[in-house]
Amino acid sequence: MSPRVPRDELRVLGLTALAVLAFPYLFAEAPVVSDVLNGYAGLATPILIWGIFVMGYDLLHGYTGLLSFGHAAFWGAGGMTVGALIHHAEFSFPLVAVALAVIVGILLAALIGYLSLRRGGIYFAILTLAFGQMIYYTMLGPAGQLTNGEDGLILDASSLFGVIPLDAGLPVLTPLGIIPSWLYAVTGVLTLVSVAVAYRILQSPYGLVFKAIRENEQRASFVGLNVWRYKLAAFVASGAFAGLAGGLHALQAGNASASPFYWIVSGDVVIMSILGGVGTLFGGFIGAGIYLYMDNVASSIGLIGDRWHLLLGVLFVVIVWLFPDGVWGGLRRLRSMVGSDDTTHTQTTDDGGND
Amino acid sequence: MPLLETENLVKRFGGVTATDDVSVSIESNERVSLIGPNGAGKSTLINLITRRLDPTEGEIRFNGESILGLKPHDVVQRGVSKSFQTASIFPQLPVIDNARIAALGAEHGAFRLNLLSRLDSYDEVDAVARETLQDVGLWAERETAAADLPYGDKRRLELGIALAAEPDLLLMDEPTAGMSPEETAATVELIENVKAERDLTFLLVEHDMEIVMNISDRIIVLDRGSVIAQGTPEEIRESERVQDAYLGGADR
Repeated sequence: MSPRVPRDELRVLGLTALAVLAFPYLFAEAPVVSDVLNGYAGLATPILIWGIFVMGYDLLHGYTGLLSFGHAAFWGAGGMTVGALIHHAEFSFPLVAVALAVIVGILLAALIGYLSLRRGGIYFAILTLAFGQMIYYTMLGPAGQLTNGEDGLILDASSLFGVIPLDAGLPVLTPLGIIPSWLYAVTGVLTLVSVAVAYRILQSPYGLVFKAIRENEQRASFVGLNVWRYKLAAFVASGAFAGLAGGLHALQAGNASASPFYWIVSGDVVIMSILGGVGTLFGGFIGAGIYLYMDNVASSIGLIGDRWHLLLGVLFVVIVWLFPDGVWGGLRRLRSMVGSDDTTHTQTTDDGGND
Repeated sequence: MPLLETENLVKRFGGVTATDDVSVSIESNERVSLIGPNGAGKSTLINLITRRLDPTEGEIRFNGESILGLKPHDVVQRGVSKSFQTASIFPQLPVIDNARIAALGAEHGAFRLNLLSRLDSYDEVDAVARETLQDVGLWAERETAAADLPYGDKRRLELGIALAAEPDLLLMDEPTAGMSPEETAATVELIENVKAERDLTFLLVEHDMEIVMNISDRIIVLDRGSVIAQGTPEEIRESERVQDAYLGGADR
């Protein structure tokens, strides 16, 4: 009999909460560590936001084995939902706007997934790319009135947040360097919720069915699974996380434009996913962290500067070479090597529950 | 009413007729073998029944109802499962998860699952997975990744995946192909045991005549897409037509 309150979930959520709390302090405030890293508090929020995006994407790519190149569409749509509501409709409930961004992400993913999943493998990837770009150009041109193109909509922070300005600090905690802003607090709570939902999905029958499809799609259908619909479910779930993250991103950036719809974003999420570890769930946050760190911190070091993309490329090759399952997978392997006398050389794909 | 019935089944690939007017039927609790030389249409017939292929003409009925409008996964839901000629397993997953997937698929595969319910609350899935692995003798290896099993065990797992669907009709496509004599003997014993224990109805495609003769109630002989004979093992052994077509020249 399984316990009513699953212990593994409590552990995952506890550790996630701890990491979310400790991260900005370690990154931006702690002596020595933050000096070496050269981190700053403002980067902590986007790392969590992109982490949610990548984690959701991992459900599709890492667990179900479907490579999508169109996830910019859901990220962009989430951002535009929040942007349009706040800018055009002068809507003053940012959290409700983010909730609607999730719904838009779900609906758009259902539509694009429905159309793209008629083909498999590389054709599926190209179809998602094509639909994503169609939406990008629509946002740029025909829907330019709504989106204001690449300049986008300015989301004025002061008019946004009604009672509590999201970019203001919290009493006590912010001066101590623990939680940099209300926006970080909100993002942190939503990160926790996202991890809880994604982890539960993987513990549900869906998690096993996703892996079955990744491992052997034909067999999955010949044990009676309606593979197509489970693929659509994975696609829609990842679209929901992308919509959520995109909505938060618009709040954080104070801007919603057509640019987040651009296909480069779909590529970024794949790169982050591989850096962190495909099929590791939590690796998404590591991958997002590495990428954004290179983009924002390393690029401001004189010697590196504009060459940060090159450095990222080298790092990418090294990581993929040394750790085929990304940084998270590498850490996990390291731990099992150090932690026990390693009787588990029969490597079963774990669902990331082991930290 | 027969459990499975095909009526004037024709499948053409371009100019090649793979099955030509095949009408066969299988009763409940009957063990039937399908034999014939290479290219006789055995695999095509199996693929037609599992809905992997669409027939050019004809009809297939299971429990009296046409299954021609169904997708392969629907056919499994109705109670027909298949073990593949090669080990078609989920390689990176532990053996127990391979069995769980199969149990889950047959029971809930038509998408009635709750995204937020935990798998470990589905007790019946675990029960079926356990029983299946015990039946095929892989319970001790349940935590091993399927890819790490020896070849014979992979094929047993393959059979287990088909059995975990608790089918009314099991289609077995050469379950002993490529096995060593020891593995073959073990697999035959396994089939015998399961057959006795589960009242299994099966349709077996097999080249090894000794296995076929021992295991079947009835044998259907295909040649060039047509049924040329069917009957009990004794009748088939005596039939000259079968000897000409199938064992052709071996005695001369």
